Amino acid sequence: MSSQHVLLSPAELSYLHASLSLQPLPLRPDGRSPTQFRPLVAETGILPGTNGSARICFADGTEAIVGVKAEVERTVQPFTQDTQTTQDEGETPAEDERRKEEVGGSDWVEMTVEIPGYRDDDPTTVFLGQMLQEALLADGEFTKRLRINGRFHWKIYLDILLISPPLSYPLPLLSLTTHLALLSARLPRLKSEGDEDPLFDDDWAASTYVYPRDNNKKDGKDGNNKVVARPPVTLLVMAVGNNIIFDPAREELAVADVALAVSVGEETTTTTTQTGGDDDVDMEEGSTPGKRRLRLLSVRTIDPPSRLTPPGVPNATNTAYTAPTGTAEAKTQDGARTLETERVEGVWKAPRGGAKVMVMAALVAKVLEKGGVADEVLDGLEAVDLG
Amino acid sequence: MASLKRSVDPGTVGSNISSKVYVRSTKSGKVQKIVREVYLRQDIPCSSRLCQACLKSAPRDAAGRPTPFVLSEQPAGTREFPQGHYLVPDTNAFLTAMDLFEQSSAFYDVVVLQIVLEEVRNRSLPLYNRLISLTKSEDKRFYVFFNEFRLETYINREDGESVNDRNDRAVRKAVKWYGEHLARSAARKAQKAPAVVMLSNDRDNLRKARAEGLPACSLAEYVNQLKDGERLLDMIPETQDREVTEGKKKPGEHLYPEYFSMSKMMTGVKGGVLHQGIFNVSPYNYLEGSIRVPAFPKALLILGRENINRAVDGDLVVVEVLPKDQWKEPSTQVIEEEAMTKNENPDTEEGSDLVSEKERKALQEEVKRTQAQKTEGHPIPTAKVVGVIKRNWRQYVGHIDQSSVSQSSQQGRKQDTVFVIPMDKKIPKIRLRTRQVAELVGKRILVTIDAWDRDSRHPVGHFIRSLGELETKAAETEALLLEWDVQYRPFPKTVLDCLPKEGHGWKVPESKDDPGWRDRADLRDLLICSIDPIGCQDIDDALHSRPLPNGNFEVGVHIADVSHFVKPNNAMDAEASIRGTTVYLVDKRIDMLPMLLGTDLCSLKPYVERYAFSVIWELTPDADIVNARFTKSVIKSREAFSYEQAQLRVDDESQQDDLTKSIRTLLALSRKLKQKRLDAGALSLSSPEVKVQMESETSDPIDVKVKQLLDTMSLVEEFMLLANTSVAAKIYEAFPQTAILRRHAAPPKTNFDELGNQLRVKRGLELNVESSRALADSLDRCVDPANPFFNTLVRIMATRCMMSAEYFCSGTQAYPEFRHYGLASDIYTHFTSPIRRYADLVAHRQLAAAIEYEAVDPSVRSRGKLEAVCKNINVRHRNAQMAGRASIAYYVGQSLKGKETIEDGFVIKIFSNGFVVLVPRFGVESLIRLRDLHDPEPQAEYDAENYVLKTSGSREVTVELFQKVRVRVTDQKDESTGKRGVKMDLVDTYGR
Repeated sequence: MSSQHVLLSPAELSYLHASLSLQPLPLRPDGRSPTQFRPLVAETGILPGTNGSARICFADGTEAIVGVKAEVERTVQPFTQDTQTTQDEGETPAEDERRKEEVGGSDWVEMTVEIPGYRDDDPTTVFLGQMLQEALLADGEFTKRLRINGRFHWKIYLDILLISPPLSYPLPLLSLTTHLALLSARLPRLKSEGDEDPLFDDDWAASTYVYPRDNNKKDGKDGNNKVVARPPVTLLVMAVGNNIIFDPAREELAVADVALAVSVGEETTTTTTQTGGDDDVDMEEGSTPGKRRLRLLSVRTIDPPSRLTPPGVPNATNTAYTAPTGTAEAKTQDGARTLETERVEGVWKAPRGGAKVMVMAALVAKVLEKGGVADEVLDGLEAVDLG
Repeated sequence: MASLKRSVDPGTVGSNISSKVYVRSTKSGKVQKIVREVYLRQDIPCSSRLCQACLKSAPRDAAGRPTPFVLSEQPAGTREFPQGHYLVPDTNAFLTAMDLFEQSSAFYDVVVLQIVLEEVRNRSLPLYNRLISLTKSEDKRFYVFFNEFRLETYINREDGESVNDRNDRAVRKAVKWYGEHLARSAARKAQKAPAVVMLSNDRDNLRKARAEGLPACSLAEYVNQLKDGERLLDMIPETQDREVTEGKKKPGEHLYPEYFSMSKMMTGVKGGVLHQGIFNVSPYNYLEGSIRVPAFPKALLILGRENINRAVDGDLVVVEVLPKDQWKEPSTQVIEEEAMTKNENPDTEEGSDLVSEKERKALQEEVKRTQAQKTEGHPIPTAKVVGVIKRNWRQYVGHIDQSSVSQSSQQGRKQDTVFVIPMDKKIPKIRLRTRQVAELVGKRILVTIDAWDRDSRHPVGHFIRSLGELETKAAETEALLLEWDVQYRPFPKTVLDCLPKEGHGWKVPESKDDPGWRDRADLRDLLICSIDPIGCQDIDDALHSRPLPNGNFEVGVHIADVSHFVKPNNAMDAEASIRGTTVYLVDKRIDMLPMLLGTDLCSLKPYVERYAFSVIWELTPDADIVNARFTKSVIKSREAFSYEQAQLRVDDESQQDDLTKSIRTLLALSRKLKQKRLDAGALSLSSPEVKVQMESETSDPIDVKVKQLLDTMSLVEEFMLLANTSVAAKIYEAFPQTAILRRHAAPPKTNFDELGNQLRVKRGLELNVESSRALADSLDRCVDPANPFFNTLVRIMATRCMMSAEYFCSGTQAYPEFRHYGLASDIYTHFTSPIRRYADLVAHRQLAAAIEYEAVDPSVRSRGKLEAVCKNINVRHRNAQMAGRASIAYYVGQSLKGKETIEDGFVIKIFSNGFVVLVPRFGVESLIRLRDLHDPEPQAEYDAENYVLKTSGSREVTVELFQKVRVRVTDQKDESTGKRGVKMDLVDTYGR
């Protein structure tokens, strides 16, 4: 389930853990600040045959390509007439139906993730795909955009390819690439009206963006006016000690106490605030007009690889270090017990137990912080030319 | 990170790759983004003979020769371009004025840009085909320049640029490149380069071109520079003209409702709410149309201008059924557009109301009548046209409505608007702007419809060419050939090249070792003769019979072996399959195959040896088939009889030679065959057929004779039917999926509703239409002792209720559907006239393959191809019949010219304001309106249930259906169609 195994010795892990837990600022192996992302290069529209595509390269050499393909599909209308006529109290299915027609079904999006060296039914791959899809569907806004009319919708196929070996946990990379690909995705312009069989303009230049943009670009000053709405992004955040670290590299993740995938959407300025159901927490920060209003879409804990790392042995219990004595037998047993319970400074010990609620809250709050990382990432992505 | 994106920067030098992106919607509803890579090259020649540079780099064929260049070295000049010029028209120029480009007086050296050609193809396939044939003709010097593949002329679409704008820019770019390119080439030769002129009717495009300093003209401007510009100006369509010059038309109220969008129509049709079908106009009432849709057994009625909504006869339209309170009965009135809209002024669309005062009046009458007889009124569902899927506009023959011509225009050369009344009454008047009114009045002219806007009451068209004076033989013959779409141009050279090299000298080879003799039976010793109408040159069939030792008879039908000369898929075959049939006019024959074959090499002429395809039966004396065999053969006909000669010979007891005896045997057998057929329920139908006798020298018609039926005609007919049936069974056995057959569907019972009702009410006779047998019997019972013609009359009317027979490919129908209703035969085909019918030729090929004489050609095995062939020949066959009839009608009219005869006639149709009389003597029918009875028009009372029209007032007569009347037949030029036809006046009603 977790990402990948790391080949670090307990001593190295301990060292990493110690430097990452430093106060007030952690010391990251690559010298980044805790909220700093790895530098990246992005471009869109690289695959002419797709409806939209993007490519992102992280400075560490990981690289991903995402292609978006769309197909017209008939919206399944299960038993609308029949059920209503046969069972008169069929109030709920009809209502359910109406909701689905408005919002769209989760089967309108199909995502496949491909990571070199992994089978496509590998848990890692499936989990990644599910996480990205969940984020995309969570705001309920995306599938609405795919509705053509009462009888037809677009089905979106998202092909996510990691084209480099997975040097670090690829979630943020894939999410950002997907985000860009969706932003650049366009659908043929609809010419028919109402519930007619859809008929499209054969001029590709007339096609419309899935995420519409404001036509009169106001120098991007107002930020929001360039792209009216955006797809969500999923960020990887981890906590080590009392530090919160964004976009962890592979070694950093190896010592994480908690790792979270947080999906953040952007509240469109036009739509009214909707209180999400279930696990969606509506965090509304900064209601200043014109500023971005972030919205938490989903949170997933990632099982960090640190949990599977072998523990270090404290000197006190190391037989190679202390002379074997008569009481050694008992001592070792004691040592073995302390190994289970105590924490010895400088000796690596895999984190145990689930993430603490407080820690999670802090992580999420940090993500959604005004002018925080999510904001920064979205700003950064906005700068990408979507031509 | 290096970008993976392919550079789209058009500026980069040497980037010879680009791409084209568009959306493709497939039939199954898939929508795909398509990206096509475009590889640009520099070796596409400009094809000007001036240019040496292009010649050097032009691609060469396998022999190392470049394709010869097309555009002339010294193109013609005009007033503005004295140095000569090449034309580069844009798409609209071709779409709107293709006729101009086909002129032989001007429009040479034209560069057809690829982008323009593609656009023309997308917009109109017929125009595209005409353009292609222009580019193929050598003397017109049209060159297709692939501007989209030449690096210098390729352009990328800019941001926010519409496709049309981009294409216009591409045209300008090509014009510019051509100009510069030629200037360079000419400079090298120290010559003056011809101007490269863009032709466009788009104001914006013209303006931009001029701003770029390119020579550009609108069509009108250009034509004005030409010598016979005045004449050509008329060919520039009206709408376009307006667009360029003023565009003054106010977007006022629209006369007609708007059409639905295509997607709305398609969804509606799929959902069963709207219906799609071919729109037909009633021949008696131009405001009434009907449409047959698959959803209903009976046709839907479409009444009134507004509901017809700009549909023209033959268009493929979509209709919506009107609410029940608007259902109506079909009109019992004759409404002719001519009479209704006589005084309309074509110049002004004043009054802007859709329905003219007179039309409105006619409608009121209608309502009164419908409400008067509530009892039996079956209102028929009506519908309105909501959109047109496909226009079926063609070129129409007509003449200018004299009354629409203003006095002033008779002299001047200014442009004037007039109405053209098409010869086909089902086509509405066409508004036409012309500068040559004075010349065109009184001529047969060919026009085409350009458009029918929502705010124009009549369609707008333009003049194509004049056929000649009204009522001259040449003009009228050409007119009816055009009207029935008969291909009458001489055979092209490619077709003539397919003929045998020996020409008329071709003979059946002497030596039997010749490949022509392979698998051929030598039947030269048989006593074969042919029996045909007088003067027949294309003799398709010949017969023989001889007694066999066992008391049976051997009977042979020998058909001209056309398939020996016309091989599948060559030019001659293609031409024949397009023509489909030979068309017989009174004074002229339009052949399906070149003369050499039709009247000589294939024709089974007497005394010479000919190849034939023989069907030989052994028949018992009771005419039962013992066996049948099919073989290719060589025959030598002993004699070519006319029906009359053969009849005389048979009747002459003194003739006892073998040939005559064999004809007598055939005659005896044919009677038995006929009896068998009638017993099986074959119908004997009738149509008034007459023959025009012509003076031999001047070929002016002198008399009209009703065709006589001779026994010998029936003899030939019976054996041809027998041959066709036998062959049909054989080819169906060999090719169950692809045999070419002919079927005659049983008519729907509803077709006979009216006739049955009429017979019941007027004569107390029942018409049983259960089966063809029952119908035949009940037709036999329809006799009126006082009126011997009555039976024929009923047969004529019954014939009109029938479906028309059609060719089909056996795989498309189930076996029970093969039935030929009229002949009461389970399976039937056409085999016996390959010289004049293409279907027979296909049947010959299939039979030859079935008897393993030759290998199966793919073309007679491919179902798709055969279906296309059947579709075409069905249409051609019908058109040929129509043209033949129209020709007879014309000559009947001519023969009556200046004469006056009193004849007996029969009332075959009654309207509330007139009735139709058929005069069997001339085989003509004509409408007698109430207003023709007397002036002032008498009052009339119409009893629709009893089919009686009683007039009172100025003249008192009672006319009822089937009644025998005496009429005075004179000739009259029909003002509406310009045809000379008969005019009838009621003289006597025989005691009524």
